[in-house]
Amino acid sequence: MERPDWAPEGIDLSKASVARAYDYWLGGSHNFAVDREFARQAIAAVPDLRLVARANREFLYRAVHFMIDMGIRQFLDIGSGIPTVGNVHEIAQKVVPDARVVYVDIDPVAVAHSEQILSGNEFAVAIREDLRRPEIILDHPATRALLDLDQPVGLLLASVVHAIPDDDDPYGIVNRLRTALCPGSYVAISHVTTDSRPQEMGEGARLSGRTTTPVTARTRAQVERFFDGLELMEPGVVWSPLWRPESPEDVGDHPERMSFYVGVGRTV
Amino acid sequence: MTGQPDAASLADRHRHGLDTFAKAWAQALHRAHYVPISSAERYRIVSALAERLVGGLLAEAPDPTCGFGVGEDLVVAGFASPDALGRTIAVLNTRLAADLGLPADAAMCVRLTALLEGLAAGFTAAVHDRSLDAQDAVRLAALAAQTRAEQALRANEARFRHLATHDAWTDLPNRTLFVERLDRVLTAGPPSRRVGMCCINLDEFATVNDILGHDVGDRLLAATADRLRALAEPSGHLVARFDSDQFAILIEGTTCAEDAVKVADRALTALAEPFHIDNTEIPVTASAGVAERSIGSGDTAELIRATQIALHWAKADGKARWMLFEHERSAANAERYRLSAAMPAALRQGEFTLAYQPLVDLRDGHIAGVEALARWHHPRLGMLGAGQFIELAEHTGLIVPLGRRLLEQACRQASAWQQDEYDLYVNVNIAVRQLHQTGLVASVAQILDRTGLAPYRLQLEVTEHAVIDLTDQIRATLSGLVELGVRIVIDDFGTGYANLANLRALPLRGLKLDASFARPAPRIGQPPPPAVRRPDDTAFLATVVALGHTLGLTVTAEGIETASRARRMRAAGCDTGQGWYFGRPVPPGEITRRVAAQRR
Repeated sequence: MERPDWAPEGIDLSKASVARAYDYWLGGSHNFAVDREFARQAIAAVPDLRLVARANREFLYRAVHFMIDMGIRQFLDIGSGIPTVGNVHEIAQKVVPDARVVYVDIDPVAVAHSEQILSGNEFAVAIREDLRRPEIILDHPATRALLDLDQPVGLLLASVVHAIPDDDDPYGIVNRLRTALCPGSYVAISHVTTDSRPQEMGEGARLSGRTTTPVTARTRAQVERFFDGLELMEPGVVWSPLWRPESPEDVGDHPERMSFYVGVGRTV
Repeated sequence: MTGQPDAASLADRHRHGLDTFAKAWAQALHRAHYVPISSAERYRIVSALAERLVGGLLAEAPDPTCGFGVGEDLVVAGFASPDALGRTIAVLNTRLAADLGLPADAAMCVRLTALLEGLAAGFTAAVHDRSLDAQDAVRLAALAAQTRAEQALRANEARFRHLATHDAWTDLPNRTLFVERLDRVLTAGPPSRRVGMCCINLDEFATVNDILGHDVGDRLLAATADRLRALAEPSGHLVARFDSDQFAILIEGTTCAEDAVKVADRALTALAEPFHIDNTEIPVTASAGVAERSIGSGDTAELIRATQIALHWAKADGKARWMLFEHERSAANAERYRLSAAMPAALRQGEFTLAYQPLVDLRDGHIAGVEALARWHHPRLGMLGAGQFIELAEHTGLIVPLGRRLLEQACRQASAWQQDEYDLYVNVNIAVRQLHQTGLVASVAQILDRTGLAPYRLQLEVTEHAVIDLTDQIRATLSGLVELGVRIVIDDFGTGYANLANLRALPLRGLKLDASFARPAPRIGQPPPPAVRRPDDTAFLATVVALGHTLGLTVTAEGIETASRARRMRAAGCDTGQGWYFGRPVPPGEITRRVAAQRR
């Protein structure tokens, strides 16, 4: 008999989770010793990794605000990680109380955590799914219950596409998600690169191989390709602090050291 | 807020300085927030906290809790990083008094220090609490995730188990589950408890598939499953699909075979109602094999086999019925099977021989010929008569080589008698299967050639049944044999449906009347009242003999066991007699001795 594809996986808490390490870099305590050990080794390789994480986080914050300003009222956040305070639903619902948010993550602990945080919030939900199965995500009952795919959606792919190796067709996956959204939707992507700091970030990427979600760093051209078929919003694909900063002090002297290419595109 | 009127008014007086300080503080806390925050929001939070600090600093009676509370609230507002505390202390130390235009005297220094002490303590305590809460949250999340994963695993296992033990199409339990349950039933409880089972099979399922298509066939199976489920499950009987169109019902706690038979009967009745699929009425019948017994009398495989044997019986008996397994019938079948399986080896090892029974001329009582009868010297069962194995040999087809072997043996023996100038013919039985062989004529010709037997001394006996439907091939074979000079007689005449036209058309030599003619006719039912005429056996016999003679055939009476029967058959006009009265089948030497004696 064939093993069906819904076979559940066990939870391996002996392996570091990037979601929880990310929480540690941001100053959070939603992590375990094994996560912190990995997070500190990554900091040893990339001393300003906390700032890198923060800059990526700030991009997400600005992108959500941008989308709200563009009239987006529903969000699909894939690779949402540990949703501590100030997450998408808090940002959005502060402005639009009934803004809808579906969080998706592959990390079962992150999803369980999200559910604790979201309990009682009728407009936000977390599901455990794999970015590599976009149709399952879009057809998930929870997605269907909360999001109206005939209306524009803000798709957030923050620090997640680099978790898809080339063999798993990341471009095809992003394309399938994009084409499922109606015109006027927005797609935000942030993606790690070794372009500006080949040695340090290269070591960081290598270390991620020990986690449940190893990363594949990509070049600017490779990141730009993810926006093929989208109308790329100003200022295009840029270093994370350079995407519509609130003030010059948010940018810093070396935005390229933040090692994330980011951008937002609109579906046409 | 401290809530102290004088402190509030003091703060008002320092409004401008306070604002300058708050801006500096907010600037210092850039990127000291746990999550992104707008600079406006940052300023709003910080300026409220700055007002409280100033209130605490200027209050007449110092409020020891002020610094602590502000430190705590800094963390609660999200400024929880180590940088947030460090920069706050620095900016308070260097900017607060100056921005507010306060005297940098020793008293103010003491106040500020107390405020900072409280703030650091409050901040640290809040960070500690926050970390502990976060740790609780992440551990609970991990626990929840693990619990969920285990539940999913168990659900998955249950699903696998279901898939492994159920038929995917009908969702009925499959053979695996049925066998498991039956195993449990047979190993639990006292051996005197009883259990029944029936095995049900649709009679013409292959035809439905062939004619209406597999899609309809599949839906018919699903509908069959539904009916059986509806019938058996309310009574607690397990229904399973074994394979294709074979289903099984387990009946636990029977008291006798009748309990199981009733279930089978109800199932067949339920399936006999026509099915409607795609607006097509599909009439269906089913057959069932039933077995019932105490649980101590055999294992699962035996019970299942018993129902399947009984199912074969039901099919063989004409379908649309149930049959109850009977051990005796099964044992007899098994014995037949063993015999037929042993036959090829027996043929190779020469275990088959012939016995010869005299055929006596009824006019003068001399032995005119013999009938060669097959015998099997079975190593275990001893001497077996033709009746015990010839039919099996016909069934398996072994009759063809066996018949040829026996024919050659008989001809060789007859040839020996011929050489000794004994005037005997030999009758040899030919089976229908042999007549269908194209090579029979050539084979007989070779045997005659090899043995040197005069063809007219060989009489081949064929049964009435063999010539009911005369195919061209049989007709050609019979003609070919007659052309060789061999004689053909009809055996067991009067038991079947001899076609009188065929009797005329065929180049026959004679008839052998069935042994039943030699006995008085059996009476069926109660004796009739005297007024009713009984058929006259003797007149009937005379008519049949006359018929034979009219057709120019010799008539042989079989089964003559007594002198009176011999007289009766002679009186009826029979030419030749055969039976125990004249002599049992014996080895050829015995015949030789008797014929030699009668010659003297």
